[in-house]
Amino acid sequence: MAHTKEGPAATAAPARTEAAAPATRRGYDAEKLFNRVALGVLVAFALLWLVPLLFATAISIRPADEIAVDPASWFTSNPTFAAYEDLFDKGKLPYWYANSFIVSLLTTVLTVVTASLAAFGLSQVRFRFRRGVFLLLLAGIMIPMQVLMIPQFLALQEVGLLNTYWGVVLPQVPNVVAVFVFKQFFDGIPRELIEAARADGAGWLRTYWQIVMPVSRPAVSAVTIFVFVAVWNNFLWPLLVVTDPEMMTLPVGLNSVQDAFGIPYAQLMASAVLGAIPLLVVFALFQRRIVEGIAGTGLK
Amino acid sequence: MLRRLDSPGRSAPDPARGTPAAPYAPSRRALLRGGAGLAAGAAATAALTGCGTTIAQGFTGGEPPADRLNFWNPFTGGDGERMVAMQELYEKDHPDSTLRATTFVWGNPYYTKLSLATIGKRPPHVAIAHLSKLPVLAQAGLLSELPADALAKQGMTPEKFDAKPWRKSHVDDRLYGIPIDTHPFALYFRTDVAEKAGLLDGGELVDIDGPDKFADALRAAKEVTGVWGGSVASIKDTATQFRMFLSFYSQLGGRPLVGDGGATVTADLDAAEEALAYIQRLGKEKLIPTGANGQAAITLLTTGEAGFLMDGVWQIVAVLDSGAKFDMRPLPRIFDDAPYACFADSHALVLPRQPKQDDDRLDLSLEFTASLLENSELWAEGGHVPAWLPTQRSAAYQELTPQSHYTAAAEGAVYDPVAWYGGAGSNLQNRVGDAVSAALAGRSTPRAAADRVRAVLHKLADVESPI
Amino acid sequence: MASTVGTGALTPDRSRAREARGRLAGPALVAPFALFYIVFLLGPLIYTFVAGFFNGSLLRDGFGSWVGFSNYADVLNDSEFWRTLKHTLWFTVLTTIPLVLLALGLAILADRFVRGRWFIRFAFFAPYVIPSASVSLIFMWGVLADQTGLAQDWLKALGVNSPPSWLGDPNWAMWSLAGVTVWWTIGFNFVLYLAGLQEIPRDVHEAAAMDGAGPWQRIRHVVIPMLGRTTTLVTVLQIVASLKVFDQIYMMTAGGPDGSTRPTLQYIVDTGFTDGRTGYASVVSLFLFLVILLISLVWFFLVRRAEKES
Repeated sequence: MAHTKEGPAATAAPARTEAAAPATRRGYDAEKLFNRVALGVLVAFALLWLVPLLFATAISIRPADEIAVDPASWFTSNPTFAAYEDLFDKGKLPYWYANSFIVSLLTTVLTVVTASLAAFGLSQVRFRFRRGVFLLLLAGIMIPMQVLMIPQFLALQEVGLLNTYWGVVLPQVPNVVAVFVFKQFFDGIPRELIEAARADGAGWLRTYWQIVMPVSRPAVSAVTIFVFVAVWNNFLWPLLVVTDPEMMTLPVGLNSVQDAFGIPYAQLMASAVLGAIPLLVVFALFQRRIVEGIAGTGLK
Repeated sequence: MLRRLDSPGRSAPDPARGTPAAPYAPSRRALLRGGAGLAAGAAATAALTGCGTTIAQGFTGGEPPADRLNFWNPFTGGDGERMVAMQELYEKDHPDSTLRATTFVWGNPYYTKLSLATIGKRPPHVAIAHLSKLPVLAQAGLLSELPADALAKQGMTPEKFDAKPWRKSHVDDRLYGIPIDTHPFALYFRTDVAEKAGLLDGGELVDIDGPDKFADALRAAKEVTGVWGGSVASIKDTATQFRMFLSFYSQLGGRPLVGDGGATVTADLDAAEEALAYIQRLGKEKLIPTGANGQAAITLLTTGEAGFLMDGVWQIVAVLDSGAKFDMRPLPRIFDDAPYACFADSHALVLPRQPKQDDDRLDLSLEFTASLLENSELWAEGGHVPAWLPTQRSAAYQELTPQSHYTAAAEGAVYDPVAWYGGAGSNLQNRVGDAVSAALAGRSTPRAAADRVRAVLHKLADVESPI
Repeated sequence: MASTVGTGALTPDRSRAREARGRLAGPALVAPFALFYIVFLLGPLIYTFVAGFFNGSLLRDGFGSWVGFSNYADVLNDSEFWRTLKHTLWFTVLTTIPLVLLALGLAILADRFVRGRWFIRFAFFAPYVIPSASVSLIFMWGVLADQTGLAQDWLKALGVNSPPSWLGDPNWAMWSLAGVTVWWTIGFNFVLYLAGLQEIPRDVHEAAAMDGAGPWQRIRHVVIPMLGRTTTLVTVLQIVASLKVFDQIYMMTAGGPDGSTRPTLQYIVDTGFTDGRTGYASVVSLFLFLVILLISLVWFFLVRRAEKES
């Protein structure tokens, strides 16, 4: 990640490795040997980990007649994007991309706003039963959304929200982890900062918006990232809620809708690659941010 | 979990430095840039494809435009190709209607989608349903009854349909589907292999009916191919296993597996055991593979590693495309305890119950249906025996080979037993098919497999119907 | 929460007025989230509990008729329910062990290097951001496919004549699915461990090195024990995530072959949405919820006791 600023975490690492170097010559050799072995193991695993992705990509650009002769081969003399073109020409991929993007964005925005407001209230405003409310919300961590599919589905059916973005979005909004991450962060904001704003006559909402949120960007981006990724990749819920092929999200569409012309191998791999690309690109661009965000939230 | 997140120093801002957010400033810009890029990308794709109205629907839950005809089917491969060709013919004749066809994964996922869509008030206007599934869908209130006068308006009158599927399209004397075909489980064979094995007599396959004769034929073919005599899909293909089982079981005079709409088990345990024993025998004598999936089973035939293939007639295009020399006939009569029987099902066009009944839409849907029927010949080329008599009786169809060689099979067609858990790709097919493939692979004795069939049927029948 | 107590620098008067308004402001700030929480989490949970007493159907309107505890009794007597639960637990064992140990090992190794860290992190974490649908396509049709797949191809190159049908053989399918899951999700645990490693102060390493401890001893006696908390977190998150497995199994084997990989969550989807038996599926849901709850609580209890003892 050459173009992103190296954070404190990343610069601390080399110093530690040097400091760990032992005093004795023998120890130094052992260290060196160990490092070599470690590097070997690590690189071997990393390469193994890349194989499926590279294989899928390699297959996706092979012409059909070559695949027919030797399906498992990696190489082609005539790379072609025909499989990709077919998918875009005949398929509903553009819809699915758009739907996934809209649904993920909507959920993320709603989650960030409601969770941070709640966390702000719980962290900075004193009121009766505050602790009780917090514990009650926290207990929600223990409720997996997946076991609530039936009532959620029936409720949305009742109000006619199946096959709408709202049907996919709304049940994913109450994300207790997000409240927790925000509250954790807000608890660390010095009381003085908020009291000063309050003394200047700022209301709670203004304090939240003008003082607290601007200094909370790390928490906001952490929550944004993990909610966005989770919603983008969610499969089961949109699978149930969305049946209209043009309303499907990317994962559901890729799984449910087939090409009437059978299932050419290259095209299957191309659709896998197309499904993978958006978040892979985002990840490659913001790797350090995302990794820190995930690590910072510590929760899926 | 809580304590761990308490750990200091990861992200809390430090007011002493004055601008707590400063270290993150470049990343924020990067984030914004990324966000803008993504938004632009989404907007661009939206603009390119003109899916603006769809997006609006996503927010409002509005209905698709009036001239839109949404059509769902589970056809891929050869079937899919034919169906697309038939759709194109319709579009050519009706340039002002907007047909949107979608293909889904066959079986339970398709029917689950269809019922969830109807419950969710966004069903397709026309859909394909198997006749083995139609009674369940109709009883569940998911289908619209088809008015005879509206059908007649499009030229679809009862006498133009094959009687058996036409009758099967009714539930309590009400019509819920328009059948387009019957598709039996049949036998493919390579003419070159059969010739070398001495199984051809004047270009026709010799008599291979009966348990030993069929096994001998397979053995003769195996001597020619050097690999297998015949082939059948058993891996990842419970439906094929079920079809093979139901065919032999019915030839033994086995009663329907379940009765009373699925509430009681009527399976004949002895017949089941005998059918399973025969299936196991074919596997044990290494005449057919016990570990081939659907694709592999076909490939074994097309590459000449097997002389016979037991599969549905709809695979005809896949075999034709390979260029292999082959012919077809109805599945052999292994047992003669009962009239000839082989598994079969039919595709029908159904109109899922719409949130709003609308006569214009009904006409539009039926017009499309009539157009598909009139192009039944294309469909027949894909292997299916057409239900549309003008096509079935046409000279063109009679001359079609090998399609015309198994028309007789439709006479012995045995459909899945009627049950809410039955039909194409259903729990019944999957559970019973699992037991059959366990017998074929030798993982259980015929008796144990038959017991298992009975046990799964009892288990399914004991459940109160959700309909 | 401690930081909010007693830090106010205001006069008692003003702070009391503040608090009076706070009494309304606090709940008001929490309200939007609480509304979502009640409507989409708490309410459905109660509904699930109640619906279990009725024979509700997706295909009929309303609750269905009262059946008392018969759904509960049926589920407890349902061999398929227990079988799917067994699959779920077996999958959890098969995935949690490698996903914790391998992630730990790889993170410790990766922590030693600064150059090329981008590449290592990308290799392990990239699969995690890929949707399960893509993962399933890649493995079902690409890597683990019969005849044409990469895994069989490699085994054949190594001299294995008839490699197994990875997803079609009941003896192999669950292992294959576990393997795919390890590949797919290890990045998450890897990153949590990397973060945990960042927090080990460097003088700990220094001191150990001065004592003449080699790299292996340092890892065993210093690094791994200091990662104890991270390990607790990673393990419990992993267990809960694995107990909720659905996507990749549904897409790659649909619970087969011969029902040998069907997890409980799929049983809920199958009974609730394919069969439409919402009352029955509600009871299965409730039991799965209890299992997840119980296992996480037991785990926490054990860890807590271990921490107290040490």
